Amino acid sequence: MRADRTTYATGDAYVSTGMIDSRAPAEAHRTPAAPGEPLLTVEDLRVQFTRGGRRINAVNGLSYEMVPGKLMAIIGESGSGKSVSSRALMGLLPGTATITGSIRFDGRELIGLDEKELRKLRGGDIAMVFQDPARSLNPTMKIGAQISEAVRAHADLDKKGVQARAVELLRLVRLPAPERRFHEYPHQLSGGMRQRVMIAIALAGEPRLLIADEATTALDVTTQAQIMELLVELRERLGMAVIMISHDLGLAASYAEDVVVMYAGRAVEHAPVRTLFSNVRMPYTRALLGAIPALEREPHSMLPVTPGQPPDMSALPQGCPFRPRCPNATDKCLEHPPFLEHEPDHWYACWHPAGTELDTAPEVTAAVAPATAAEAAHHSTAHDQGAAQ
Amino acid sequence: MTTAALPRVPGDRDPRVSPLRRVTGSPALRLVGKRLLMAIPIMLGVTILTFWVLSLIPGNAAQQLLGAEASPEDVAQLEEQLGLNESGVSRYLSWLGNALHGDLGNSLVSRQPVSEILADRLPVTGELVLLAFVVSLLLAIPVALLAAHKPNGLMDRISMMISTLGLSVANYVLALLLVLVFAVTLGWLPAIGYVPLSDGLWANLKTMILPSAAIGLPLFCFYTRFLRGDLVDQLQQEEYVTTARAKGVGSWQVLLRHAFRNSSFGLITVVGLNLGALIGGTVIIEQIFALPGVGQMLLQAINTRDFVVVQAAVVIFALVAVLANLVVDLMYAVLDPRIRYGSR
Repeated sequence: MRADRTTYATGDAYVSTGMIDSRAPAEAHRTPAAPGEPLLTVEDLRVQFTRGGRRINAVNGLSYEMVPGKLMAIIGESGSGKSVSSRALMGLLPGTATITGSIRFDGRELIGLDEKELRKLRGGDIAMVFQDPARSLNPTMKIGAQISEAVRAHADLDKKGVQARAVELLRLVRLPAPERRFHEYPHQLSGGMRQRVMIAIALAGEPRLLIADEATTALDVTTQAQIMELLVELRERLGMAVIMISHDLGLAASYAEDVVVMYAGRAVEHAPVRTLFSNVRMPYTRALLGAIPALEREPHSMLPVTPGQPPDMSALPQGCPFRPRCPNATDKCLEHPPFLEHEPDHWYACWHPAGTELDTAPEVTAAVAPATAAEAAHHSTAHDQGAAQ
Repeated sequence: MTTAALPRVPGDRDPRVSPLRRVTGSPALRLVGKRLLMAIPIMLGVTILTFWVLSLIPGNAAQQLLGAEASPEDVAQLEEQLGLNESGVSRYLSWLGNALHGDLGNSLVSRQPVSEILADRLPVTGELVLLAFVVSLLLAIPVALLAAHKPNGLMDRISMMISTLGLSVANYVLALLLVLVFAVTLGWLPAIGYVPLSDGLWANLKTMILPSAAIGLPLFCFYTRFLRGDLVDQLQQEEYVTTARAKGVGSWQVLLRHAFRNSSFGLITVVGLNLGALIGGTVIIEQIFALPGVGQMLLQAINTRDFVVVQAAVVIFALVAVLANLVVDLMYAVLDPRIRYGSR
């Protein structure tokens, strides 16, 4: 099955190098998760950094589940813990971080794995593409050497096999003239090409989960769309799950199937993308949707802005962290709202969800009706991609 | 059918560049040429400055040779013989004229040709500096790598302690301590003196170990601290290190292939800068260990106001500094492809 996939992936240009066979035994343990079984279960994940005696709670009880093959977006503003939580999945956080909770990947607990097992996991089962391809590739190493290194980390191949596989990966991500690029340095490539190389590196170990951490943020809008299309296509071809981490709700709306909205280090709303945009429940998500510029909006009108600041992660407010900025807040919100599956497939953590009988929002603040919000999000991605906050 | 219409890809030779320009256009060659041209004003400046400073010191070679008791007539006669009665400018210009023809002149004191003196002395200083550098780098690189592999680990703490200690001791104090321990107390090595290499490698090394350790140990401490700090910065801040780790590459490979390669730029810069300063540092060490090197020669020449010899030493020192910087720049080009393929 794996051989089929690879053949398909490289199309006519596929040249047998005999590496499929040599790779097979090493991957015997990789039985795909049973359908319906979650590939990834994050439960009450907490990450704490200690800096100069101050404790910063970067992730505060994040929970979500993901089934194999999904394309899920994790959305949140800077400092909401989305990047830190995804780096925790791969054990990439510095030693100053304390990680508690549970991360189960295919039934296996990842927290507490030793360095050797983590090394197998990184780039093997879970791979990552980072934000700025100019900084995340080593400037002093040739493209080929950087990919080969990733290939060698997960497959026992001879020099020729490694090179063939690396070129094949470059072809897979549609890098033009892969044989020549193999011998070039990152600075000789454009931003989009560099990000393709990063994706090729990530695919070297045939991961089952690819995390794209703001992978298109540093790119211009056209390139951004090309890279997203490539990720979507590769996901289908290779049958891997993708988590895209972004601050761009519009981007998530156009590519993701599921969306997790993070605020102050925890998930506050999690639903299939359609549900989320048509029945937004969490006032924070609603505020985000309201802030997307849309064509329907009155020309030169002010965009609605969520008042206040994201909370100080070293001193979170009591109860719901969004309470100080929330139009719906009541005394009830001093109590911590649990993150529960209130409706089928729709999780949120709120005492006064929007659009329900518990909604306490004054009519005026609910300026953007949920249906319009969904439309707005789609329009904004079609015409105004990247401008959305 | 114009060449400009050809589809061009990066890396291809630009057909519009003339063959001559292609030869002279090699960035490395141009860098060498530029630096050597730049060395000319540097040499002129350094020699003029030295000449001027020497002329400010009271007394001249004639007085020094004849001693305080000499009659003014004798001094005047010798001054004339040595050409010291001429004006400073004309003395400098005649020295410069000869130097440009490859003649560095004869010592005013010993009448020996300066080139002969240098041929005797340069190997001593060269060996001293080379040993100090090689030993300090050969020790510092592995120690820094071990320390950076586990920041705040045992190895890191030990290396930090030693390097702090080493950095807080001046090299002449260290020299005396080394003599006290290894020559006086233990009697393993000679305290002073020099045996040339031609009298046997071990006999020669025995006289060079303590002096080069006195210079090399503080350097080792400095390089260890510098490299360890730079490596830890790379490991913690650079995104490509995270990428390497995310590939599933082992921690030693991340350290060696990714962090160390990029940290080596900083190390090379520091080593290059040190080399210039270090040559000056040999003056004191050669004096302590009675090594007949260029540093000792310089000091003696200053004492006897032997400006011809002083000039020669200064030219050598400046030349080493210029060449060291040139080598550093060439090393950057070797290690960093962005410079190698850089425009200009």
